[in-house]
Amino acid sequence: MNWGTKMAEDEMDLDQLLAKARQTRPDLPDDLAVRIVTDAETVRLDRLKPESSSRRSVWMRMLDGIGGWQSMGGLVAASAAGVWIGWSAPDFLPDPAAIIYPQENSFVVADLGLDALFLEDAE
Amino acid sequence: MEDLTSAPQDVRGADGAADTSDDALLRQFADGDAAAARVLTDRLGPRCFSVAMRMLGNRAEAEDITQDAMMRLWKMAPNWVAGQAKVTTWLYRVTLNLCVDMQRKKRPDRLDDVPEPEDEDPSAVERLQEAARKDALQVALSQLPDRQRQAVILRHIEELPNPDIAGIMGISTEAVESLTARGKRALAAILAGRQDELGYEDG
Repeated sequence: MNWGTKMAEDEMDLDQLLAKARQTRPDLPDDLAVRIVTDAETVRLDRLKPESSSRRSVWMRMLDGIGGWQSMGGLVAASAAGVWIGWSAPDFLPDPAAIIYPQENSFVVADLGLDALFLEDAE
Repeated sequence: MEDLTSAPQDVRGADGAADTSDDALLRQFADGDAAAARVLTDRLGPRCFSVAMRMLGNRAEAEDITQDAMMRLWKMAPNWVAGQAKVTTWLYRVTLNLCVDMQRKKRPDRLDDVPEPEDEDPSAVERLQEAARKDALQVALSQLPDRQRQAVILRHIEELPNPDIAGIMGISTEAVESLTARGKRALAAILAGRQDELGYEDG
């Protein structure tokens, strides 16, 4: 028998073995199928479960206490409006700063010299 | 909570989902559908187990690898982007990587696993001869370099097309053809007792 014929026979033998292996692919064992589906169920339920309160940060719990992200949006909008009104009040509104510190009695310390301060003390 | 573990026949998926794609089933599972997991287990579990069995030649290890690979599938489900790749490609790749990791940790002597004949009953002898032939293939496969073994198993036992194997192994289809051809030649030589004449280059 020559070398080429021997190799061809070996290949044919291998093809038969591979064909047999294809025909006898193992089924998924029942107990393994149960374990896999149980794993899937564990993952699924874990995903559906709300986060436990102990794992939530103090900030997130505080946020929940005031009504969550939606209320936080309203709070931010109200704060922004307050800042804007304080900074640039409409004409028809009284100036809160003028009420607390009337203009005629106010003075700017920086405009006074150091001597003037000492003179006032001396008087 | 629905009891999914009471009996094996209860955990297998329903045939009604036969037309649903793996992508769609994975999305359904991510959205909380327990039945989708059963169909996916029925559809993908056997492929995973078959490859792991051929890669490792050990039933217990193949079961562990299959369970691990499927667990990764369940956890990955919410992040799966449909249409980017096949679910089977992802799962085969994970399975093969897990097998390679396991083999690197532990290299068993597979020749010791071949069963000894126990009696002289003709049918039993026939069965043992068949088992020995199957084991011969397994022993020969275990002697191939990792990449050749993967390519031969995916092409000649799992019967996947070359482009799919290329996707799983992250190589070109030409490289797949080369690996499978060299793998088959090496297997034939090992089975014929000519392994001394082989080059065991991988890649």
